[in-house]
Amino acid sequence: METVLQKMLLVLALIACASGARAQSDATEEILKRAIALHQAGNIDGAIQAYQKYLAERPDSVLALSNLGAAYARMARYQDAIMQYRRALKLQPLNPSVEFNLALAFYKSGQTETAAGMLEKVHREAPEELQPVLLLADCRLGMGENKKVIELLTPFAERRPDDLAIAYLLGTALVRDDQPGRGQVIIDQILRHGDSAETWLLLGTAKLNAGDFPAALADLTKAVELNSNLPDVYSYYGQALLRTGDPAGATNAYRKALAANPYDFTANLQLAVLLREDEKIPEALACLRRAQQVRPNDLGVRYQLAALAFDDGKLDFARRDLELIVKEAPGYTEAHVTLATVYYRLKRKEDGDRERAMVQKLNAAAQVKQQQGVNVK
Amino acid sequence: MKLVLVWLGWMAAAAYPAGAVITPSACAPCHRAETEGFAGAAMTHALSSARDSVILRGNPKLVVRLGEYSYEIARAGGESILTVTDGKETLRVPIAWAFGQGAVGQTFVFKLEDRWYESRVSYFSGLAGLDLTLGMENITPHNLLEAAGRLAGPAEMGLCFDCHATNVVKSPAPDLAAMTEGVQCGRCHQGSEAHLQAVRARGTSAPMRKLGELSAGEMSDFCGQCHRTWSQVAVRGPRGIENVRFQPYRLANSKCYDPADRRIRCTACHDPHRDLETSPAAYDAKCAACHSLAARRNGASTRLCRVGVRDCVKCHMPKLDLLGAHRKFTDHWIRIAKPNHPYPD
Repeated sequence: METVLQKMLLVLALIACASGARAQSDATEEILKRAIALHQAGNIDGAIQAYQKYLAERPDSVLALSNLGAAYARMARYQDAIMQYRRALKLQPLNPSVEFNLALAFYKSGQTETAAGMLEKVHREAPEELQPVLLLADCRLGMGENKKVIELLTPFAERRPDDLAIAYLLGTALVRDDQPGRGQVIIDQILRHGDSAETWLLLGTAKLNAGDFPAALADLTKAVELNSNLPDVYSYYGQALLRTGDPAGATNAYRKALAANPYDFTANLQLAVLLREDEKIPEALACLRRAQQVRPNDLGVRYQLAALAFDDGKLDFARRDLELIVKEAPGYTEAHVTLATVYYRLKRKEDGDRERAMVQKLNAAAQVKQQQGVNVK
Repeated sequence: MKLVLVWLGWMAAAAYPAGAVITPSACAPCHRAETEGFAGAAMTHALSSARDSVILRGNPKLVVRLGEYSYEIARAGGESILTVTDGKETLRVPIAWAFGQGAVGQTFVFKLEDRWYESRVSYFSGLAGLDLTLGMENITPHNLLEAAGRLAGPAEMGLCFDCHATNVVKSPAPDLAAMTEGVQCGRCHQGSEAHLQAVRARGTSAPMRKLGELSAGEMSDFCGQCHRTWSQVAVRGPRGIENVRFQPYRLANSKCYDPADRRIRCTACHDPHRDLETSPAAYDAKCAACHSLAARRNGASTRLCRVGVRDCVKCHMPKLDLLGAHRKFTDHWIRIAKPNHPYPD
């Protein structure tokens, strides 16, 4: 009897255990459902807490990891987002949507080069997906790789002639690549869709490149008036203001550009130059560091960092970097000028004289080129 | 001694409240040698109001015709009015400021609708009259306002005032509320106000940067803030004869220039506290500091002139014509200047 009772109790206990586990499992899934609901309702803090609670129970949930990454990204906590996406990809290496989100987090955190590499992979895996292509093109534009953008987007533009996003990015790349003829075709295509901020931005950019600064300023002012949230609009507006003799206005415009996109390369670099002139060294340095994140090997950024070091009295640091810069770019006059001054300050007259002679040689060559240009015209 | 210092402190306190611009008379009790000739130094008069401009007061009516536009600057009461006409329409605007002390000339600045303009015509002493302002050769005016002057942005005007006056807030737009016309002590000797306050309060001195300790290179950069440095001109130009006006740039290109050698720094030849010495012979001793047997005996490896030992600058720093300036400028690129050789740049 005792044995039967014991057996019955054991069975009952097993049944109870099983139903408890099912209940616990249901409760855990409820947490995920609540997290998703909170996420969708815009309660990101609540969603993050719920995802974390769920992941404590189900650490291998790709969905929860990916969603937690997205929630972090929404809060601009990009490094946390990147960590979650990476954990998700470790569990499921071929997940294009997580890969795209990871690339987006890299892009948003200013790691443009890494984002571009990631997006190349996504694009190879899903060649017809438009979103990764557009983001990749934007990355390449930010990195100044205009030819790669043209190569990437031309086939898409042929297949989707009415897609304004493609037209805008391709047109921008063509204009920046000094191909105003092809750029104009694209501008006309956008113009057919009416008066838009995008059109004025493109026209303004083209005029900036052509050196018609007052006209560029007029176009870019219209672009800002029509849509001040348009990516890059304040950055180019700032350039036009600077070229028309309004550095204070340019400083304001660059600050607005950086409020919209802290990793706007041009705004960071140009603002750093202006801040350096105003002797606001720490802020200038912060801008240059962000610009360097976007384009790690950009000579202009490296030159400004070296010049800042020189201003700060760090002569050996400045010398080392400037020597590397002129080795890589022997025609970079400004770098030779600063290097000559650094050598003189270090009491290395012979080296300073050599750099100064190089500056004279470069300037003489530039003058000859300019005169030839004038004669040709 | 203590009584004297206390008295000096009291005197300064009575005459110069905090925030006042430090003028030569404030510094004179202690720095007599530097201040006694300063009133006559050119830099002291680098800017004057149109009301006080000696040139405008001495020339009650100036006229010139440039292309299709006629210009007149006429004195009316205490004002000088710039009038521009193309025969159909006329623009009249009062001149606010006169830039330059007059050795070369004066360029005028006016304000219209809260914007600064640099006048298209300037007064040139070599001409004793008006002509096109330097730098405007390639600007074609399209209307009367453009014919009257070139719009100068706030940052540019800030820089102009900052070099020609003292206590200018130059950014984001020039603030002239505390400005004193001309280059006064405090423009170069930054910290002079605190120094004077310290003298006034305790009879002891607050340290100021000692400009006398600058090397030739550092001084070139210091003076070059306004006279343009070698770096500025090397990067941004101008190229050709137009840069003859930028002495630190020209000097730095000289073969004998050594940024570490004080014998070639700006103040080796020029005392900024006095008016410019114009006698060539006065500079011979400066050249001989390096180029002489005495210098050689002291260990300097230097070349000696085979032609002469007097008036060195006449040959080695020739005076060159700058088209449009109506005046010759001394070329500070020290060299063996041969006739018909191209302008080195």
